[in-house]
Amino acid sequence: MIARIRAWALGVGQAAADWMEVRTGVVSMLEHFLYEPVPKRGMWLYTLGSATLFLIVLQFLTGILLLFYYVPTTDEAWNSIYYIMTEAYFGLLIRGIHFWSANVLIVVVGLHMLRTFFSGAYKAPRELNWVVGVVLILLVTVLAFTGYALRWDAEGFWAWEVGIKIGSYTPFVGSYVATFLLGGDTVGPATLSRVFAIHVWLLPALLAPLIGIHLYLLRKHGEFGSEFEYTKRLAELRERKQIEEYALYEEGDESPRE
Amino acid sequence: MAELQKDPVTRAQFIVMGTVGTLVGAVLTIPPVAFMLSPTIKTNFLGQSDVPDDWHELGSVFEVPSGTPKLYRVEFPQNQTYNGEDPLLGKGTIMNAVLVSWMDGEIPSALENASQGGLSASQIEELTSQLNVMSNHCAHLGCPVRWFPDRDEFLCPCHGGIYDINGGLIGGPPPQGLYYYAFEIREDGGIYVKHEFTNGEPWVV
Repeated sequence: MIARIRAWALGVGQAAADWMEVRTGVVSMLEHFLYEPVPKRGMWLYTLGSATLFLIVLQFLTGILLLFYYVPTTDEAWNSIYYIMTEAYFGLLIRGIHFWSANVLIVVVGLHMLRTFFSGAYKAPRELNWVVGVVLILLVTVLAFTGYALRWDAEGFWAWEVGIKIGSYTPFVGSYVATFLLGGDTVGPATLSRVFAIHVWLLPALLAPLIGIHLYLLRKHGEFGSEFEYTKRLAELRERKQIEEYALYEEGDESPRE
Repeated sequence: MAELQKDPVTRAQFIVMGTVGTLVGAVLTIPPVAFMLSPTIKTNFLGQSDVPDDWHELGSVFEVPSGTPKLYRVEFPQNQTYNGEDPLLGKGTIMNAVLVSWMDGEIPSALENASQGGLSASQIEELTSQLNVMSNHCAHLGCPVRWFPDRDEFLCPCHGGIYDINGGLIGGPPPQGLYYYAFEIREDGGIYVKHEFTNGEPWVV
């Protein structure tokens, strides 16, 4: 009985997948998206990119949810977060996920970068993807930093002040950077509005297409680094040498070189 | 390449297209960029400030002790975004912590001979030259400094900036001493400050 139900469910699932595949090509698209050959040695380290992507998606989703309650004004910002934490259903969970996954994201993205570096996956023809990755890590760092300030509590406020002060040391344009980030020459409501705009709109708008480019380049050149390529190159070299030797043998030289 | 070009662009067409392209590009980019950068343009190029150019009373010179600084808080009115001068927008304020001390911690002789009733012009001049009116924001990254009486120094909790009682830099990463407010002493001994700094811009405050 169970076997029959299982067979029936499998058949229905297969039919549904086929129906979708014929009309949208989504199944083959997913297959292409989800599967990527990686070297056997240290293969788990190659999941760090997917983990980063998962955490970023989590940030987007929980961030959108937090926007339903967060009020970006100097008077209400902290209160609205307090409300989320204490009054809104599952607010503690949603904000907790946003906060902790942001922290974990920084660690995972750093490990992902280290893995890419040590596996030599930044080498030709993947240099551009490395550059895109570096820009992405900078964007994620600024996102984390601006998120810090949105709480508008003492810790976030002082962290943002330190950030503005660091920005003010930029050679030649320091004062312009400071006034741009402050929204004037003092900290105030415009400062929080700017932090909010940068955190919620500007940086995600830059991040999303860059992630798309990062994934496109990954698909184009593959994820694995030099080690895998080296093995492939060696195999190709052996094959070529073998063909050359056979060619010599066929030409009459009966003692092919080792 | 040249022979593949079916419709060669004439010089006149090139100039027209270039001019129109530049104009369209300017129309599309200048408004959003100027919109985003308007605080920078107003502050850095037009010299405007969020805080009106008024004097605010801090306290009296007779309150400033010898050997230790006195901390004042002053609430400056602030016109920024929602806190404009229009009555519909309401008024905002920004609180500043101001450290006031005598030069090397020593009360000037002019003050010892003065009465609270009135100060002469020469006494005001001497007191002004002997008074330090400083921001409590560290000149490194802006953290609030505190006075440690057992060391006779201001210390910054963030990265260890050290300043003397005059706000002069003793050690640590700050590139300069504490920021000095523009101030004046009036005949009754009142100390008045403006939201203006005479040796750099601390930002944020």
